[in-house]
Amino acid sequence: MSGATPAIQVERVTQAFGPPGSARRILALEEASIDVARGELVCLIGPSGCGKSSLLNVMGGLAAPSSGKVWIDGELVRGPSPRKVAYVFQENALFPWRTVIENLKLGMEFGRIPKGERHERATRALEAVGLSEFAGYYPGQLSGGMKQRAQLARALALETEILLMDEPFAALDEQTRMVLGEDLSVLLARTGKTIVFVTHSLMEAVFLADRVAVFSARPGRIKHILSVEEGHPRSPAFMTSAKLSALRNQLYEILHDEIRKAMNLRGPESASQAGKGEER
Amino acid sequence: MNFSRIAPRMVQAGFAGAVLGAWHLATSSGQVSPLLLPPLASVYRALVSLLATGNFWPDLRVTGSELLIAFSIAAIGGCVIGYLVGRSGYAVQVFDPLFAGLYSIPAILLFPLYVLFFGIGPGSKIAMGITIAFFPVVLSTIAGLRRVDRVYISAARSMGASGPRMFWRVMLPAAFPVIFAGLRMGLILAFLAILGTEMVASFAGLGHRIVDLAENMDSARMFAYVVFVVGIAFLLNVAVSFVDARLRREAL
Amino acid sequence: MPRVPSGRNWLAVLGRPAMVRLAVVAGLVLAWEWTARQFGNPLFVSPPSHVAVAMFGLLRDPEILHGIALTCWELIAAFALSVVIGLGVGLLVGLHRFTRASFYPIVLVLYAVPLVTILPLFVLVFGIGPASKIAFGACHGVFPIILTVSAGVQNIDPVLLTSARSMGASRRQIVSSVVFPHMVPAFFTGMRLAMTTVLLGVLLAELYVSQAGVGHFASQFTQTFQPQKLFALIVLLAAIAVTLNEACRWGEKRFSRWQAR
Repeated sequence: MSGATPAIQVERVTQAFGPPGSARRILALEEASIDVARGELVCLIGPSGCGKSSLLNVMGGLAAPSSGKVWIDGELVRGPSPRKVAYVFQENALFPWRTVIENLKLGMEFGRIPKGERHERATRALEAVGLSEFAGYYPGQLSGGMKQRAQLARALALETEILLMDEPFAALDEQTRMVLGEDLSVLLARTGKTIVFVTHSLMEAVFLADRVAVFSARPGRIKHILSVEEGHPRSPAFMTSAKLSALRNQLYEILHDEIRKAMNLRGPESASQAGKGEER
Repeated sequence: MNFSRIAPRMVQAGFAGAVLGAWHLATSSGQVSPLLLPPLASVYRALVSLLATGNFWPDLRVTGSELLIAFSIAAIGGCVIGYLVGRSGYAVQVFDPLFAGLYSIPAILLFPLYVLFFGIGPGSKIAMGITIAFFPVVLSTIAGLRRVDRVYISAARSMGASGPRMFWRVMLPAAFPVIFAGLRMGLILAFLAILGTEMVASFAGLGHRIVDLAENMDSARMFAYVVFVVGIAFLLNVAVSFVDARLRREAL
Repeated sequence: MPRVPSGRNWLAVLGRPAMVRLAVVAGLVLAWEWTARQFGNPLFVSPPSHVAVAMFGLLRDPEILHGIALTCWELIAAFALSVVIGLGVGLLVGLHRFTRASFYPIVLVLYAVPLVTILPLFVLVFGIGPASKIAFGACHGVFPIILTVSAGVQNIDPVLLTSARSMGASRRQIVSSVVFPHMVPAFFTGMRLAMTTVLLGVLLAELYVSQAGVGHFASQFTQTFQPQKLFALIVLLAAIAVTLNEACRWGEKRFSRWQAR
């Protein structure tokens, strides 16, 4: 990459849960370091409980690391930075009592976007994800895929440089996932955003990412970083190409042992979920 | 020690302490008339004396028998009618909204009529208890029988069950938790209604006793009876929970 | 619901549950009318026709109208009081983990105490006028609201809070724009439950002692053995009670529309 400041710098971040010194202390993440360049899409992949969601939370300022530092655009992260970082969650995080467009506007209200700009931004974001017709619908009336697209639109409306996505398509069926993945790639090419994407799906990781960071089983360390040299937007043909298959197989080899290890660990992914819950 | 565990307990203890403390202060400083709020000590004495002498028995017997009779009739009537209605989907569609609609009328309104009809003896209280307890029982019986999970019925039928066996072995046990909840609610409501109406018009019973003592400004003994009745209510709840747990264990 | 064929299939129309229900009720009323006329002692029972006549008489009596109005005022005041206090306490208790753990059990314990037992105390403190009825009713209504509001605040999906935080919401914004709207359906459920108990509380207090409210007239009609007037009064009050209950139920449905289908 060029000598420009990376969009995100993660330096030796460690994340532990539970009272210090007790037997219940869980080390989710250990000394993770990675730099994400501007306009790059990095996937974080690894077995359950390996701390990838924790790392995302730390990047987004939603959780403070037990040790280590994160910089966004050269500035130390101390809390949520809605001007720079927008989040998309796996679960449905749309506010059910508001329509889609009202959800977007509320998000901008939180992000202190001036009132006059909100409607325009909202309509643009909805167009970008193809939900313009459904602006007046309630989340309860939308399908799973549409809900996630709406959530993405809400994140886009904040017009941040960085997008953090925590298994956003995990709850959707595979076919929807594939299509949304293609759309995301198109979006990336068009907007040049920096995206960090957590996923469990090997296929998804290779299809979307410029680089894939592979995590080991708990305590999570970045075991390997795989490069995918392919331009954005990724075409559907890439999905079925030999190159993708080869990379995917490579990824599987690296991950295989870690998955087995993770399955035999007690108290798995609830570590990071507990961490999220503690944030109230 | 885990502070977050102890702290709420401390707040609760503090709350109880504050209430008792305020009571003591109000009575000892002479700010509040002892006819309204008697000193804690005299309430305690009155309570001890009440329990020791057993003076509560006559009134407890009256209230208790009113409750027993009223609840038995309401329970049996409610279950039988609920069963008869619940057998037919059509009957449910006709009668269930009717019962639900009647339930939304505060039953206590009927009490003056019962007094007119039965006088101020136990009869009016029993009638009140029956009226108020009937609806939760019948509604929950209907609901319980209707909503037996189709899965149980299919499973039983596939094993050859039908008719009475299907009813006694499958539907009833499956519907039972809902019906029991209705019975429980009916019991509590009947108890409260009987207590309340004893206060309004009666010549015996725990509710009447409390009013009697209040009117005679015998506040220490009145509070003693209040504590006693709260205790009875608590015991009633415990007894019902116990039965609930036992039956649940047996059903499982 | 059996499919009703369109057109003139009268049998099908008459067979609809609503119709049958109407027929059942009409039948009961007629049976009542007949038995009351034939066997009823006019001191104790009254046929519905007499009750209907008495009702018109009541509605023309200014004293009675005043009594009904007074009781309605007691009901509304008690309800309003319990809503305001219940909402405030419910929010305070529910919003913080610490207050929840500390005060929720206290609320539950207080709720378990049958308020009926201290009805005479309310009268001793607040007098025999409307104040004691309002206070008694409000104490009844406050509990369901506290419990449902604090539950509505607690049960919020954590991802909604995290999401708001990630978008830069301040603590105040989270409470007002996320927690509060989420709690609204529970609040309305609480209000529906509160209305039921407020009705019971106020009416019981009225029957216990009343100078000018409906309880006063109910006692009067009872003691003077005028069942038709008493029943007429009961019907009027029942109508008011059902209206209030239905209004609360409507409110509950209206404000719960966004909830998971």
